[in-house]
Amino acid sequence: MELFINRIFDGLSNGATYALIAMALVMIFKATTLINFAQGEFAMFGGFIAYVLATERGVPMWGAVILAMLLSALLAAGIERTLIRPFDPADHLPLVIITLGLFLAINAIAGIVWRFDPRAFPELFPSGNATSIGGANLSWYTIFTVLTVFVVAGGLTLLLNKTKIGLAFRAVSSNLESSELVGIKVGPTLQFGWAIAAAVGTLAVAVFVATPVRQIEPNVMITGLIFAVSAAALGGLDSLGGAIVGGLAIGLVQSIVVPYVGVPSELSLLAAVVVLMLVLLFKPSGLFGTPAVERV
Amino acid sequence: MATAPRFQFTEGTTQYRTYKLIGYGILLLLILIVAFAYSDTGSITLFDNDYKISITRVTKAISFIIAILGLQVVAGFTGQLSLGQGFFFGVGAYLSAWLVADHNWPWLLTLVVIIPTCFIFGMAFGIPALRIKGLYLALVTLGLAAILPSLILLDKLEPYTAGAAGKQTDSDLVPPGWLPLDGIVDALHKIPLVGQYFGDGDGLSSREEQRVWTFFIMTIVAVVCFKMVGNLIKSRPGRAIRAVRDNETSAAVNGIGLAYHKTMSFGVASALGGVGGMVYVAELGIASPGDFTQLLSILFIVGLVVGGVGTLSGAVVGGLVIAFVPDWASSTQNFPGVPERWLQGPTGGLILGIMLIVLTFVLPGGIVAGVRRLRARFVRVNPARPPLLNADGPTIDPLADSATVDAASVKT
Repeated sequence: MELFINRIFDGLSNGATYALIAMALVMIFKATTLINFAQGEFAMFGGFIAYVLATERGVPMWGAVILAMLLSALLAAGIERTLIRPFDPADHLPLVIITLGLFLAINAIAGIVWRFDPRAFPELFPSGNATSIGGANLSWYTIFTVLTVFVVAGGLTLLLNKTKIGLAFRAVSSNLESSELVGIKVGPTLQFGWAIAAAVGTLAVAVFVATPVRQIEPNVMITGLIFAVSAAALGGLDSLGGAIVGGLAIGLVQSIVVPYVGVPSELSLLAAVVVLMLVLLFKPSGLFGTPAVERV
Repeated sequence: MATAPRFQFTEGTTQYRTYKLIGYGILLLLILIVAFAYSDTGSITLFDNDYKISITRVTKAISFIIAILGLQVVAGFTGQLSLGQGFFFGVGAYLSAWLVADHNWPWLLTLVVIIPTCFIFGMAFGIPALRIKGLYLALVTLGLAAILPSLILLDKLEPYTAGAAGKQTDSDLVPPGWLPLDGIVDALHKIPLVGQYFGDGDGLSSREEQRVWTFFIMTIVAVVCFKMVGNLIKSRPGRAIRAVRDNETSAAVNGIGLAYHKTMSFGVASALGGVGGMVYVAELGIASPGDFTQLLSILFIVGLVVGGVGTLSGAVVGGLVIAFVPDWASSTQNFPGVPERWLQGPTGGLILGIMLIVLTFVLPGGIVAGVRRLRARFVRVNPARPPLLNADGPTIDPLADSATVDAASVKT
C-alpha cells in the first residue's frame, strides 16, 4: 500500500511536467493545428537560461525562472516571426520540417554551449516531506509541482478569456480566415501563442529539474516530448484542461500501470506510445478536444 | 530563361543514348575512384583539418541511402510523413547481426529474413496510418522510433541483442579468391600522373580488400534497390501512390484502394529500411542501441529533405549528406573565424538543422532540384514523340479526331 501511494505521488509529479509541456503544445496546436516538434528543446533551452541566470549571475531563483520565461518567450516570438510566419499555416509539411530543423539546431547549440554533462539545478520549492499518508511520504516538491500546473492553467484561462489578445487568439483558433476578415492581425496573434508556449515550457523544465533527483542537460526533454505529446493527444490536442488530465494520467500510467503489469521500467515510453496510438486510432479528438470536421 | 539550352536531346535517339551512357560512365568511374583511391582512407586537407573520405564511410552512407530511398517511397511518393524509418533500420541491423553472429549466416542471406520481417512490421504500421493522418502520423511514428533502444535493452531480449554493450559480429565479407582486387589496384597505381592517388604501391592488405569488397557488394545491393523502386514508381502501383499523395479523395474516386496502397508503401519503405540496417551493421561490425534513437529517424528526414523529396537521386545526396556532414564537422578542429568551442561539440547536428531550415526556405525541392534547375540551362531532354504522330510532325488533327468521337457517341 505504501509503495502504491508512493508511486501515485511519483506519477503526479512526473505527470505535472508532461501536463505543462502538453499545455505548451496545445497553445500552438489550438491556433494552427501544428505540433511543434521543437517544443521540448525550446523548454530545455529556457531551463538552461534559468540555470545560468541563477547560478552564474546570482539572480534569485524564482526571479531567474521568470526572467528566463520572458527571454524564451521573446526568443520564440522571434523564431515564429522569422521561420514560421513566411509559410502558409495550412500546409503542414514545410512547417514540420522547420520545427524538426529547430529541434536539431537547438539541441546542438545547447550541447555546444553547455556540454552534455548533467548539472544540478537549484531547488525551487521547500525540500523535505509535507506529510505522510499511509506510510508514504508526500514531498513538498510533488505538492508544488501539481499546484504549478493548476496555477498555469488558471493563468492561461484568464489570459485567454479576459484580455483582448486572448479574445483575438480564441478567434484565430476558431476560424483563421474569418478573424483575418474582421481585422485581427493573425500573425502577431499566433506569435503570442508561440511566446506563451515557450514561457510555459521553460517553467515546465525548471519545475521538472528542480529536485535533487534530476539534473539538467541538453537531452533532458528528448523523451519528455513524447510523453507530453501523448498527454496532449489523450486530453485532446486543443484543450488546456485536457492537457492537465492527460499529463497526470500519462504520469500515473508510467508510475503505476507499468510496474504492476510487470512491464520493465524501460518500456514506460512504450506505454505512452501505445496510449498515443490508441487515442489517435479510436478517438482522435481525445477526451476533451473538439472533434475535427472535414469538409470534402 | 531566354536562351535555349546548349544541348538538346530527344528521347530514343542515339545522341540521347550517348548522353545517358556518359552519365552512367561517370558514375561508374566515381565508384571505382572511391573504391580504389580511398581504400587507404584518403583525405582532403583544408584549413589544417583532415576530411576523411574513407571507403567505410561511403559504405555507411550507402546504408543511409537505402533507408532514405525507403522514406522516399512512403513520404516522398505516397505523402505519408513517417518519422519511424530509424525503427526499421534498427530492426534490420539487429536481425542481421543476430543471424550472422549467432547462426553464422552469410550477410546477404539475412536479407531473406529481414525483408519479409520488416515488410510485415511496416504493413502493420501502415494500418494505423489509414486512420491517423499527417501530423498525427508523424507523432506516432516518432514514438515508434523512440522506443527501439528501450526494446533492445529489455532483459528478455538480452541473449539476442547483447544489451547495452552492443551486438558484435566478427564475420566479414571476404572477397572470393579469384577476384584480383589486389591486381586491379596495382594496375591502377601504374597509370602515369593519376596513378599515385591509387593505393600506396604495396597492394591491398586483407583488411582493405574486405572493405573494398563490402563496398562493391553494398553498391550492388543499393543499385538493385534503386532499380526496383524506380520500376515501382513508373508502374501502375507507383502512379497509384502518387495519386494518393496528390489528392487522396480524387485517388479514391478513381478507384485506387487507399488502404492497400498505403499499407503496401509502408511495407516497401520498411523493408528498405531493414536492408539499410543490414548494410550498416555489415560495414560497422557492431549494432549498439545508442545508434538507433529517434535522432536517427530525424536524420533520415533531414536526408530526405536536403536531397529532395520525391526524387530517387535525392536519396543518394541525402544519404551522403547525413553520413559525411556530422563526421566532417567533428573532424573540423579549426576554422578561420569560428571560435574553437563551437567546433568541439555536436556541430554536425547544428549544421544539419540549419541546412534543413535554410533549404526549406530557398530550395524546397532539395539539392537535387537545384542541380536540375542548373542543368536545365545546359541540357534539355525532349520527350519522344508519341507513336500516334509520324516523325514529320503532327499530321492528325486532334480536334478533328475528338469531333468524330463525339459524332459517334451521339449516333449510338
